Amino acid sequence: MPQWQLALLLGTLLFTTIGLELFSPRILARFIDDAREGVAIEILKNSAFLYIGIALVRQVVSVAARYLSERVGWAATNALREDLTLHCLRLDMSFHNQNTPGQLIERIDGDVANLANFFSDFVFRIVSSLILLFGVLGLLYWEDWHIGAALTVYAIIGMACLFKMRSIAVPQWKAARQASSDLFGFLEEQLSGTEDLRSSGATGYALQQFYKHAGNRLKQERIAGLKSIWLRNTNAFVNVLGYIISLISCFYLFNDGAITIGKIYLVIAYTGMLSGPLRRLTRQMEDLQKASASLSRIEELQLLATRVHDGPGYPLPSGPIAIEFRELTFGYKEDEPVLHDLSFRLESGRILGLLGRTGSGKTTVARLLFRLYDPQSGEIHIGGTDIRQAKIAALRDQVGMVTQSVQLFRATIRDNLTFFNPEVADDHILHVIEDIGLLPWYEQQPQGLDTQLQSGGQGLSAGQAQLLTFVRVFLKAPGLVVLDEATSRLDPATEGMIERAIDKLLARCTAIIIAHRLATVRRADDILILDEGRVHEHGPRRDLEKDPNSRFSELLRTGLTEVLS
Amino acid sequence: MKTYEVIWNAIRVQPWNWFFNLVGITVLYLSFQIPALVLREFFNLITGDAEVDFDFWTLVAFMAASALLRIGGELGIVLTNVPMMYNIAAWLQKNMFNRILHRPGAAALPNSSGEAISRFRGDPEQVYIFPLWINDVIGSVVYSSIALVIMLGIAPKITLVACIPVVFVVLLTTAMTRHISHYRRLSREATGAVTGFIGETFGAVQGIKVANAEKTILGRFRTLNHERSQTALKDHLFDELREAVYSNAVALGTGIILIMAATAIREERFTIGDFALFVYYLEFLTEMTWMLGYIIAKYEQTGISVDRMVTLLQGGSPRQLIERGPIYLAGQLPEIPYIAKGREHHLEELRVTGLTHQFADSTHGIQDVDFAFERGTFNVVTGRIGSGKTTLLRTLQGLLTPQSGTIHWNGKIVDDPASFFVPPRSAYTSQIPWLFSAPLRENLLMGMPESETDLEAAIHAAVLEKDLVDFDDGLDTLVGPKGVRLSGGQIQRTAAARMFVRDPELYIFDDLSSALDVDTEKTLWERLFAQRQATCLVVSHRRPALRRADQIVVLKDGRIEDRGSLDELLERCEEMQRLWKGDWGDETSDAE
Repeated sequence: MPQWQLALLLGTLLFTTIGLELFSPRILARFIDDAREGVAIEILKNSAFLYIGIALVRQVVSVAARYLSERVGWAATNALREDLTLHCLRLDMSFHNQNTPGQLIERIDGDVANLANFFSDFVFRIVSSLILLFGVLGLLYWEDWHIGAALTVYAIIGMACLFKMRSIAVPQWKAARQASSDLFGFLEEQLSGTEDLRSSGATGYALQQFYKHAGNRLKQERIAGLKSIWLRNTNAFVNVLGYIISLISCFYLFNDGAITIGKIYLVIAYTGMLSGPLRRLTRQMEDLQKASASLSRIEELQLLATRVHDGPGYPLPSGPIAIEFRELTFGYKEDEPVLHDLSFRLESGRILGLLGRTGSGKTTVARLLFRLYDPQSGEIHIGGTDIRQAKIAALRDQVGMVTQSVQLFRATIRDNLTFFNPEVADDHILHVIEDIGLLPWYEQQPQGLDTQLQSGGQGLSAGQAQLLTFVRVFLKAPGLVVLDEATSRLDPATEGMIERAIDKLLARCTAIIIAHRLATVRRADDILILDEGRVHEHGPRRDLEKDPNSRFSELLRTGLTEVLS
Repeated sequence: MKTYEVIWNAIRVQPWNWFFNLVGITVLYLSFQIPALVLREFFNLITGDAEVDFDFWTLVAFMAASALLRIGGELGIVLTNVPMMYNIAAWLQKNMFNRILHRPGAAALPNSSGEAISRFRGDPEQVYIFPLWINDVIGSVVYSSIALVIMLGIAPKITLVACIPVVFVVLLTTAMTRHISHYRRLSREATGAVTGFIGETFGAVQGIKVANAEKTILGRFRTLNHERSQTALKDHLFDELREAVYSNAVALGTGIILIMAATAIREERFTIGDFALFVYYLEFLTEMTWMLGYIIAKYEQTGISVDRMVTLLQGGSPRQLIERGPIYLAGQLPEIPYIAKGREHHLEELRVTGLTHQFADSTHGIQDVDFAFERGTFNVVTGRIGSGKTTLLRTLQGLLTPQSGTIHWNGKIVDDPASFFVPPRSAYTSQIPWLFSAPLRENLLMGMPESETDLEAAIHAAVLEKDLVDFDDGLDTLVGPKGVRLSGGQIQRTAAARMFVRDPELYIFDDLSSALDVDTEKTLWERLFAQRQATCLVVSHRRPALRRADQIVVLKDGRIEDRGSLDELLERCEEMQRLWKGDWGDETSDAE
């Protein structure tokens, strides 16, 4: 059912419940007056049955309404979770370098869940409370305008007080939410690193850090709780004030003979009803305080913009593509360039071996190719197009990367290989698995592609997990492939085994092989050695090998004479 | 372990706060008695049925006083419930965390860390809320008892007949709890799947971006979200239905009062004041039974959360969840235990016999592994991927549980490898080291007293000193989650430095140099070998390491293929020859 129909249905149900709720006390008032006037017992009993009947209907309608409102609430919050997830996925890596997955769980799920209670109740409680409030006041005017007026003034005062108190504790609740997200971020990180904690003998340290975070959460919650007590106190006053006003009004009107006992009963029942919506509204205000804290954290998250903007969509050629870096300067921080004025060109279909010490900027080159970051100056061209002119999605479809680190999901092999894309055919997957030489491993899997992998790839060795990322990339048939230390976890024998497969796959595209080991770049056509973000040496591999003065041939000599023999 | 034991122990975490919370709630409930009695007297006053002679303004004053009582009650509640809730949560979390920290480190969780977070977050909540519910029920029972006594005093017959539906309702609810627990379990599991997936997604964010897979990932997330909302809706629908039944009981009770009171009112045996009081009380009486039923359901739901937390203990005694012990949420944090290296940590010889660990769901693992080495030797484990190298290192250290086999340290059997193979006896750098989002210094020390360590020497040994100069804040540099602000090589060397800081008797490395360039690797080995005292057990297939080895252990399909020095093995071991040749060695360069 579409959302608007749901909302319409919900509205109808709400109005029905409230109508019945307003009608019930009238039966009681009528009953009292009838009884005192000595009406026939049969009529009195009919009133009683009517009362019971209406209550039954009201409950059925009310359950349906609550169910629906909760459905609307879930739909809304799930949509919000999905928006936030997509938004966070699109945020720059610099954001992810500062936020642990655990913190994001708390922000995407925890904060939104706080809203969920609010969302699903909000429609139901606030709207129905307001309708009930106006309904009651209207009916009180109908009974006697004095009482109507008195209680309207009361309702206005009550609402004003409650609204004034509404946002008193928002900053405190926000701090409490942050403390909670810090705690769970911390825990998630520790739980992922148990192997390192154990073997470093750091379990006592981990516990101490836990106390620190849990203690801070308690402190923040306590401050927020104390602050919101004002709201509850106001509520108590408002409630009692209502009774006092209606008692006094009824007392004087009765003494003047302007009102019957039944009517008095009705007025007092309605006053009780007034305090209901006011109380619920307050409770909602309290929830609203917590929700506003969550909401403002969500807003903060949504306002974070990526600095990498999508391009207008110039087309990228398919098949092997040429790459060119033009006078490119980039640093993760503005004033600390990692790459200085970098220029080089790689012709289509050729393989570039990118060498350099740790921290020389090799991986940064790869990150820029995917537009995980944009350079401060200079350009990157792929197939003649500045990559900032192409759609990011189109770019990333054209470029594939295999890295040293591999993250697997707790899901089937198929989903892990396709990133949950149901459109990739099994035949295609099996074909690539065979191409890479993983067929023997695949045949051991009890349920084939449907075999569940454990989170973090437990049960797979690091090397096997790395082979799976090759499959991931070659499922896409990209025009450019970056292998960033892709085979560093493979033993020489396995590396030898998949070598032919890699050769075969690289034959279809342009490739950059990032390595700190020379063995890895033996299939390269060109060699580029980076040193502190500058091109130290660049040229065809064979030329550099032959030149005894080149850094590359020097590296070959050290690399091959081994370290210590 | 029964759920009530957990709840009872939860109360004992903060008994005084629990008690004062109970007092606060009871005062709050009592404050609600005043309006009821005032209303009765008010009606009796105007209909002229009053038995006690109260002035109208006295009644108004009583009404006003009830507000003060109510504020007092609320204050008591707010002051006590927050410390109670968060202390109980921290108590359960600490016990789970503590147990996980003592599990074999490489298999500490039954599932992903994100999924575990759902058990750390939502499930303690179920437990800490329960003592508050108990207080609520007690307060409500006190209120209702007073109400019942007053009602019985006014009209015993009407009171009894009006209470029958209420009793019926409690019975009905108890019968319904089975369904409740089933749906609650599904709903909690679906939540775990969602949080687990978020965690995995953001752990793999770069891979997802690069693969342009945001959309398909989102598709999966949507499916999980949908499943969760479906189960949650079913779970809550039961709550709603139960609530509806209660409300109907009130209506039915009120209806019965109406029918029975009709004659009595006409005959003036039952005043309008009595009637108003009965209707007012009935709502509270029903609320009490509602709460009794609700607490039964909550009890079931709490049971599920307890089960889920116990699962996280993975085979540990369920009692560990409710173990009592200090939780330091305020004031001085506890000292971190530090063990200085002494004679008892000295290594002479390590011997492994018949060590076996097979993974349950695959053919992988290690079987019947025997080897031994002495102080000061350099031992290399090598083999193809999936041959069990990492499993061997983990099993030896108790990071995975050995299924059979013995380990002797200086000839003495090691009973519990997991607690034995820790600094200062041994330290370990895993293949994919995990750094924590904290300053570099903290990542290196992880609680070691700085005065007992030589940070500078450790950093030098790990060839990290040059990188450190480039970091803006030196040792105070924040490394980011998983150390993402460092390069792959820096992460590995930081982990190595963390190991050197601990100055262990036995160094265990898993493929230390996989992210290092030739020069850095060379320097690192040189500096390590310069330490004459170092006893090392390393996984590697690099030639420098193999050449230097006093002993090489070749693994194939989880079993030892051969053992010996490089020359011996190259002579007689085919697998070793294959592993050696696979590397790009002199042979290929000669060929060109």
